[in-house]
Amino acid sequence: MNAEEIQAIFFAECEESLAAAEQGLAACKEGTQDDDTVNAVFRGVHSIKGGAGAFGYIALQGYTHTFETLLSDVRDGTVPITETLIDLLLRALDTLSDHVAAARGLGETPDDAALQAEMTASMAANAGAAPPPPAAAPQPAQASAAPVVVDDDDAPELSDFDFAAMLDDITGAIGQGSADADGDKTWTVKVRPHADAMRNGSEPLLMLREIIDLGGTCATCDVTLVPPLDTIDAGIGYLGWSFALPADVNEAAVREIFDFLGDECGLAFGDDAAMPPARLAAAPAAAPVATPPAAPAAPVAVAPAATAESTPAAAHAAVPAAPPPPPAPPAMGQSIRIELGKLDKLIDAVGELVIAQAMMAQRLTGDGLAVTEELALLEGLTRDIQESAMAIRAQPIGSVFSRVPRILRELTTSTGKHVRLEVSGESTELDKTVIERLGEPLTHLIRNAVDHGIETPEARIAAGKPAEGTLKLSAEHKSGRILIRIGDDGRGIDRERVLSKAIEKGLVAPDATLSKEEIDLLIFAPGFSTAQTITNVSGRGVGMDVVRQNVKDLGGRITIESEPGSGTTFTLTLPLTLAISDGMVVNVGDQTLVVPLANVVESLRPDPREVQGLGAHRSMINVRGRFIPVLPLYEAVGASGAVERPEHGVLIVVETEGAGRAALLVDAIVDQRQVVIKSLDTHYRSVEGVAGATILGDGRVALIVDVDGLVAHSLADSGLFEAA
Amino acid sequence: MSTISLPPRCDRAAAEALLPEMIAALGAGPLAIDARACSQIGQVMLQILVSARRTGEGAVIDASPVLRDTARRLGLEAELFDDAPLVGSQGTRA
Repeated sequence: MNAEEIQAIFFAECEESLAAAEQGLAACKEGTQDDDTVNAVFRGVHSIKGGAGAFGYIALQGYTHTFETLLSDVRDGTVPITETLIDLLLRALDTLSDHVAAARGLGETPDDAALQAEMTASMAANAGAAPPPPAAAPQPAQASAAPVVVDDDDAPELSDFDFAAMLDDITGAIGQGSADADGDKTWTVKVRPHADAMRNGSEPLLMLREIIDLGGTCATCDVTLVPPLDTIDAGIGYLGWSFALPADVNEAAVREIFDFLGDECGLAFGDDAAMPPARLAAAPAAAPVATPPAAPAAPVAVAPAATAESTPAAAHAAVPAAPPPPPAPPAMGQSIRIELGKLDKLIDAVGELVIAQAMMAQRLTGDGLAVTEELALLEGLTRDIQESAMAIRAQPIGSVFSRVPRILRELTTSTGKHVRLEVSGESTELDKTVIERLGEPLTHLIRNAVDHGIETPEARIAAGKPAEGTLKLSAEHKSGRILIRIGDDGRGIDRERVLSKAIEKGLVAPDATLSKEEIDLLIFAPGFSTAQTITNVSGRGVGMDVVRQNVKDLGGRITIESEPGSGTTFTLTLPLTLAISDGMVVNVGDQTLVVPLANVVESLRPDPREVQGLGAHRSMINVRGRFIPVLPLYEAVGASGAVERPEHGVLIVVETEGAGRAALLVDAIVDQRQVVIKSLDTHYRSVEGVAGATILGDGRVALIVDVDGLVAHSLADSGLFEAA
Repeated sequence: MSTISLPPRCDRAAAEALLPEMIAALGAGPLAIDARACSQIGQVMLQILVSARRTGEGAVIDASPVLRDTARRLGLEAELFDDAPLVGSQGTRA
């Protein structure tokens, strides 16, 4: 595992920690303010801090330190839980998530000075009532460390520790260390980093820096185990340090520094404690080749378990007052992290298996051996394997829903509308890729619901509704697809205004009569925006058309139900996975093609009277009073022997994003089925008008038509556009 | 006396790359280590320097202020440098 992979795990864990903290704070807000809940929030922030320290994200670490100290005071009961405090903690959490994003290279490091000051003030305001918080000592050092912004360029790279900053900190901390030494008693901690603490880009010296930050000074460095140069093993930790710490720093604060490393760093607490033994034999996994032939005669290589056992015992004897380390996270279902690439490979192979099985079945049918028990068994097993493989990629949609409270908080700040969130079905699972790409459209719909849907508190009260709006978010499985609903209890769609706006923009004819549903759908038209003034909430130049495009790209659909005065509900219908899609299998001359079902509106055999010629080769079809350009698919794919006249073939009416409707001319519709999508980009190269390929039951490859691309391209060439 | 120069960033990778060279050089007599460019140092390089000082005829380290400073903070000044004050970092202990 390389440094980047470890860092990726750290960030994945950050996301989990943030989600856990968010959940905990939400529970606090709802009134559940017991120790477990507060602890869950503390743990989330604490584990981010541990990782930030180990990876050298100084700004993130400085910030989490303040945040954590406040939470620790809350946990100890020094700072009482009030509405104001929860609000502060929620804002602090939002900034923390910005900090994590910045460390990831996904944004600017947030300006947290005001918030840090607010948190510090909150602690100070309550400090009089109780003994000074144990971790108060490092405060000045951390505060000075926070502005040292780690170069954004350097931040994502593990080996790029900012040693200059580290030394600045050390120098800064020394002055403080001697101040602490004013007649105060000190106690001793002994540290010996083992092999793994130095592997994978970790740097134990950074941990030592943190001890110095806490006011520690190095008393001695044990070099007795360092072997002669020709037998040294770069993978083994030979050095051991003994630090003197001021009495007001407790053992837990020191343990926290090394939390992230687990038992990869030997620790002993107390003046009389022995230096933790070194692990002189390289771990088998470490570097079996590099082990020197003549291993130095180590006194005793203590087994790791024994080290872990003996250390805390010595520690507790020496420093009795230390509070216990943060409790372990609640037991969860066992899980492992897998690289996504490996999983995709498995799913790909399973896809091939499905195809191979189908090919065999077809061959056996041809030979008159269709009904064999073994074949049915194989088919069942293949389907099971495919379902299981897909289930591995599935994730609960809760990870997307968990970001919603923050969006609502920000909206409350900017619009003054208070919104209560009701979430259901957050454990509904769908494909990871779908989940990842769902965030953006969902965010937009929520912003839209609050900005345009839910009224101001005054207007709501005037309309006889509670001042606080309600946003309902739900997810459920329904016949092989996922339904996600975003519903508000606002004013509903003002159809009159939507229609007049659409007429004004030339989207519909002035004399057109549209049904309620058709009017509602107009809000998805490109360039449509009814907001009187463009607000900074939803008027970001991204319209609802982009939302619909995003959903369509996922192979899904979006529908609206709106009731004037009582609210609007958007329903997203999404496929469970992007690897399999519903398609219409069609014949065009000597070729077989697949048209994605998401694009298909209807198919028809045209009456010759409905087809109108246009120029020499082009034609339009009149579908219930609406003229739609006909696109002969054989031209696009260069098939030979295809039907050339619309009245002799079948027309598939498709809906496209940019170019309206079009009718694809094909010879015949063969089948409608699920197809396993193979990317052309990875196997060949990207081809315009082709979304991918699939392998049919008989082993032949069929291209999947990229309807949007193909129609836009053909119509641009021919100068034909849908006539309204 | 052969001289080996250390790069600005003395992380683990640099240490592993330089180790064979140092072993060979120390086999041939005393060694001079030019660490004037060193602006970052990790534990792996630090313990190699300690080892080099104690191996064969020993090594003389010409340190950058950063290296010198790090060694002082981490209680290794006397171990690494001939001209270090005798008390070393222990003098700061209360």
